[in-house]
Amino acid sequence: MNFITCRDLTREYKKGDTIIKPLDGVDLDITSGDFLALMGPSGSGKTTLLNLVAGIDSPTNGSLVIDGTDLSKLSRNKLAAWRSKHVGYVFQLYNLVPVLTAYENVELPLLLHDLSKKQRHERIQIALERVGISDRAEHFPRQLSGGQEQRVAIARAIATDPDIIVADEPTGDLDKSSAHAVMQLLQTLNSELGKTIVMVTHDPKTTEYATRTLHLEKGKLVEAEAVA
Amino acid sequence: MKIIRCFPYVTKQITRHRVRSLLTVFGIAIAMFLFTSVQAMNDGVLEATTATASDTTLVVYREDRYCPATSQLPQDYQRRIEGIDGVSSVTPMMVVVSNCRTSLDVVTFRGVPKESFLSGAGKGIEVISGSAEDWLSRTDAALLGETLANRRGLKPGMRFDAAGITATVAGIVRSDNPQDQNVAYTALEFVQLAGRDRLGIVTQFNVKVTDSALLDPVADEIDEMFRTAQEPTATFGEKAFIGRLADDIIELVGFARWLGLGCLAAVLALVANSIVLGVQSRIAEHAVLQTLGYKSWVIAVLIIAEGVLLCAIGGLLGAVVALSVARSGNYALSVEGTSIPIVADYGLLLMGLVVCVVIGVIAGLVPAWQASRRSIVECFRAV
Repeated sequence: MNFITCRDLTREYKKGDTIIKPLDGVDLDITSGDFLALMGPSGSGKTTLLNLVAGIDSPTNGSLVIDGTDLSKLSRNKLAAWRSKHVGYVFQLYNLVPVLTAYENVELPLLLHDLSKKQRHERIQIALERVGISDRAEHFPRQLSGGQEQRVAIARAIATDPDIIVADEPTGDLDKSSAHAVMQLLQTLNSELGKTIVMVTHDPKTTEYATRTLHLEKGKLVEAEAVA
Repeated sequence: MKIIRCFPYVTKQITRHRVRSLLTVFGIAIAMFLFTSVQAMNDGVLEATTATASDTTLVVYREDRYCPATSQLPQDYQRRIEGIDGVSSVTPMMVVVSNCRTSLDVVTFRGVPKESFLSGAGKGIEVISGSAEDWLSRTDAALLGETLANRRGLKPGMRFDAAGITATVAGIVRSDNPQDQNVAYTALEFVQLAGRDRLGIVTQFNVKVTDSALLDPVADEIDEMFRTAQEPTATFGEKAFIGRLADDIIELVGFARWLGLGCLAAVLALVANSIVLGVQSRIAEHAVLQTLGYKSWVIAVLIIAEGVLLCAIGGLLGAVVALSVARSGNYALSVEGTSIPIVADYGLLLMGLVVCVVIGVIAGLVPAWQASRRSIVECFRAV
């Protein structure tokens, strides 16, 4: 059964008198527990598709249904509430809040949930241990390496136990060994916790960790390849 | 109330951007110190010059005279004034000041008939240290207003010199009337004889009437009575009299109010600038919060809360310092024997805090609205 269903998914932007269409009528089905890698050249619409799936952008046309919820029909506030429950976002540049410690960064999404301080603490500990960075809980982002920052960002993404993890070039700013570690971590989240992962990448090596790779060009899906 | 749980995020933004926060708070504190000080002077002017329904005192002065050195009235006017219907008591006063000009430290001697003063014109006066008996029994004894005593560090038993008069402190007094707080009450004859022989001459009469509604008719009757006398009189309600003598101070304080409003504008600009810069430097951060599920209005409230907190800290600091300076200095603006106290009470502190909170909200509104309406994707593209 499809977990994410995109039909004729289109996103247009106006730039002056010109209309730019980074995503043009995409039909896509993603089943629960998939680890989908999206590849394609710059401007092909990968990040636009990722943002729509993450609920941080809304389609101009078409429908996007995730686990029975049509995101295109949700208001700004309802979309925010939906994101807090269902999506964990991993950014290329980590985007940790610089004045907060690793622990406090992971706590940020949990503050929106009805959890006691103790429950939040337990969840943060679990998330930090899962990404192997619990010993750096009291460190600020500036005191961490790129790989460690990305681990904290992943911990923040999984702290609320979301169904979907979206990752926008999660290894794009990392060295080879850190990139390998982060990809292994995402693969573990997919295989052991059953998280559905949608990842944008430029690096063909990272697609080896995915269960499925799709290519986009000029806003359209051009190729679909299943990986064993 | 999930948003309450998010407030530590606000305090961390302030405490961990230490330099920015300290500079902003320091600027707010300076501006609020000035605003609170101006407001304290303004409150003093209002307290000293605003007539109330309970006022029953008239001041009889020499017509066309504006200072105690030139207002000279025969003391025997007292008997004739006492004969007017509605007059309950008449207190002749000789006023001698250490400095005729406007100053923060003027000693004003008021010579009064001791035997009748405390039960008449000085009825509302409370002796808080020393004793009224000492004052009554000694010729050179003075009862000092609390403000004057504190400012000069005088205590019962001490002797002091001012305006060419040497007196002994018999007691310290407290009164609701600001004029009593900054004077030295002595025997009328003692002041009349001090330096030069002016027996039988007084500066003014303080006339109590039985009902405040009688103030104007009695004032008219007194002035009519002495219209053709060698020393004609001009009679005013006590607050109006103070307003007349202290009009220079009132004008200056009125102008200073504009400076106070300027201080508030400076606080607004400072906080708004700080918030705008903070929001601009945190565009990606706010986009991340929204990505995590923070609703637009929550982002707006967090931004406004940051402005309010900065304003409250700075405002409280400035107001507390202003209050401490005003209280420890016991300042009063004096001119021509009248006194405009600088009124620094906790109401002023509260007002300063409330004003700051309102400014914090106003300063944060526009940047908060802008930050909360931004598209998440646009924010990530912008950085």
